[in-house]
Amino acid sequence: MEKKYTILIVDDTEINRSLLADMLSAQYRILEASNGVEAIAMLEQHHTEISLVLLDIVMPVIDGFEVLSVMNRNQWIESVPVITISAETSSSYIDRAYDLGATDYISRPFDEKTVQRRVKNTIMLYAKQKMLEDMVTEQILEKEKSNYLMVEILSNIVEFRNGESGLHVLHIRTITELLLRQLVQETDQYRLTGAQISLIVNASALHDIGKISIPEAILNKPGRLTAEEFEVMKTHSVIGAQMLDNAPSQDEALVQIARDICRWHHERYDGRGYPDGLKGDEIPIAAQVVALADVYDALTSPRVYKSAFSHEKAMEMILNGECGTFSPLLLRCLTAVGPRLIDALSASTPDRLTRLEGQQLASQLLSGGQASNRTLALLEQERTKYRFFASMSKEIQFEYNLGSDILTLSEWGAQQLGLSELIPHPAASPELAAVFSPKDFEDLVQRIKTATPNSPVINVNYRLRIFGQYRWFKAVARPLWVEEERPTLTGCIGKFLDAHEEYEELATFRRLSMQDSLTKLRNHMSARKVIEAALAHSDNRRYALLLFDLDHFKSANDRFGHLFGDDVLKAVAHKVLRSIRSEDVAARVGGDEFLIFMAYTIDQVEPLIQRIFTSLTGTYRDFPISLSLGVALAPEHGTDYETLFNRADQALYAAKKNGRNQYRLYNSSIQGYLSVLSPIDSDSAQLASQP
Amino acid sequence: MDLKTCYAVMGADYEDVIRRLSTEDRVVRFLTRLPDDGSFAALQAALDRQDYQEAFRYAHTIKGICLNLGLTALLQSSSALADNLRAGQADSSTPALFQALRRDYEDAVTAIRSLSGF
Repeated sequence: MEKKYTILIVDDTEINRSLLADMLSAQYRILEASNGVEAIAMLEQHHTEISLVLLDIVMPVIDGFEVLSVMNRNQWIESVPVITISAETSSSYIDRAYDLGATDYISRPFDEKTVQRRVKNTIMLYAKQKMLEDMVTEQILEKEKSNYLMVEILSNIVEFRNGESGLHVLHIRTITELLLRQLVQETDQYRLTGAQISLIVNASALHDIGKISIPEAILNKPGRLTAEEFEVMKTHSVIGAQMLDNAPSQDEALVQIARDICRWHHERYDGRGYPDGLKGDEIPIAAQVVALADVYDALTSPRVYKSAFSHEKAMEMILNGECGTFSPLLLRCLTAVGPRLIDALSASTPDRLTRLEGQQLASQLLSGGQASNRTLALLEQERTKYRFFASMSKEIQFEYNLGSDILTLSEWGAQQLGLSELIPHPAASPELAAVFSPKDFEDLVQRIKTATPNSPVINVNYRLRIFGQYRWFKAVARPLWVEEERPTLTGCIGKFLDAHEEYEELATFRRLSMQDSLTKLRNHMSARKVIEAALAHSDNRRYALLLFDLDHFKSANDRFGHLFGDDVLKAVAHKVLRSIRSEDVAARVGGDEFLIFMAYTIDQVEPLIQRIFTSLTGTYRDFPISLSLGVALAPEHGTDYETLFNRADQALYAAKKNGRNQYRLYNSSIQGYLSVLSPIDSDSAQLASQP
Repeated sequence: MDLKTCYAVMGADYEDVIRRLSTEDRVVRFLTRLPDDGSFAALQAALDRQDYQEAFRYAHTIKGICLNLGLTALLQSSSALADNLRAGQADSSTPALFQALRRDYEDAVTAIRSLSGF
């Protein structure tokens, strides 16, 4: 069956859309969009399947020109041709459409033949180009695969003959790759791209092919080799290189790198290796890396002539130079990847190979900028899966595409928030701002922009306004990048989890932890924190710290019991709250001691204290309440909490000394009075203040 | 009334539309959707609330439909109004241009409704 191409028709007038659809539906599959936003959403989802867009220019919200701009930004325009249709025949319209990458232009009134012919021509032209591209890509893919296969076969032959575990080649690949990836992090002096790293890793498997020519008796000799035998053994490097020099496709990058590795993977950085005694960076970096990988794996694997050393022992031997000299830079890389080596090597079983192969081929192809239809189809499949699960999960999920500047919400999420599924230009959207405050939005954008590939996930709480109600949500999001080595931000994905109950609970706990459980005033600790903060940002404001205790409170307890005593304290706390302003701080700092902290202006401090003193004095169910109160002022008596508290405490002591039922302002004559309260430990203060 | 007569009544070009859209059946199918298309009502509403940018878009939409269906008379009056409103502003001639468009639109709708088989 011949493939039916898909055409996206974008026009805000229904009659016009269906007229075009009517002309084309016999030959093509038709998608319709009634405005620019829908068009972009469809392109976002289906651009790999759409063969042509018929685009109206004059449309509400997002017009045809803007759709073209978005197609440019996302590079869809390179694979999806666009024919614009408009009643506008002025050349400025037509030119602008062409400038933005439109392939053709049909003006109204159009006739059936013209539409069908132009559509067909354009699709054919692009299809041919795409087909050629695919053919080339598939060929490259095939070639890479057969290269890889050959490498595998050859290296397996060598291993088989060597009687090695069969994992040596796999290990060399893994270690080589880890070292190279670390190397590009440390320096760019070798200018290694992702594709080159893949090539070197691939070629590393061939490092020992020269061993095919070494006699079995030497190769697998259980004991130490004699000097003569060792000389024979050493020839494997030169022989391996010669085998590749004679290879029919010796111009290939893979073969050339493999040749270098074969010849020089026994050279050492100080020039004391073989066969050529190369020194330092005369040895190609690929060979240096494989040499180090080879030594590490030889040490940590059992051989006919030795048992396996531990990772730690092997590292120690290499770093001490017991296996020859390596580049200090590479030794740094080895040390850095050391902890990961054990895991990586135990993971490199032959099963992983196919996946590894897939990844490498994919990275090589993608870094070449070409993706075949097959790759695109696979990607499309992944997206379909993702969308399917997203639609089933009851979660508020979102996706933002930087290129099209469109925010997409999951269907369920959009319903929950009372928003559209597609929000173009979210930063300027009043619809979004009503739910997600612009300040929070900007905060999230900043976090996304500053996230790094090492810690990409963002966790932060925001308050959303949903149908008029505020609720707390936990946002979990991550940026999306392309090109791992130098990441470019393309957008982000994430979800909002309702954390309202959890958050409220936390807020309650926080409040409880700051509260005195009996009186519901602040406890000493939290009062101190708030006061310290106020003093630190005082901006020359004046504050008074009042400290008082109840006269003869002990007798209330003694005469009427502790429950009554508690009621007295609660009644006092109640009075305190009624006589201060909401921005003032009131706390119970010990048994019957209370603290008040308030801002004042210079001329009102005495009347203020008098008023509070009077309003707190009185009776509670016939029990007389009187108090001794001491006051210290900021800044004149002190500017830090400790000093203010101490001096208010001394003033309080003076008030007591003077016969109770009075207040005293701190002054220098009080200074030196023995304090009975210690500032923090209120329990001992309470004991000490008992008459 | 048959399609050819209907086009004559509307001051429209029957030969042209048949050439472009191939069959009478298709022309009838789309022509008879004109009375249900909301563009005219939307144009009127936009003018009433003096939203001339919106009004331009709807005049433009009507013009596009007329081009496709070969409705010459309505095409001319909708083009004239679209040109008048292009800058997003009205002037002293706008009301008269709209009245002309309304007359042509109503003529067209009446003719379409009297098509036999409609």
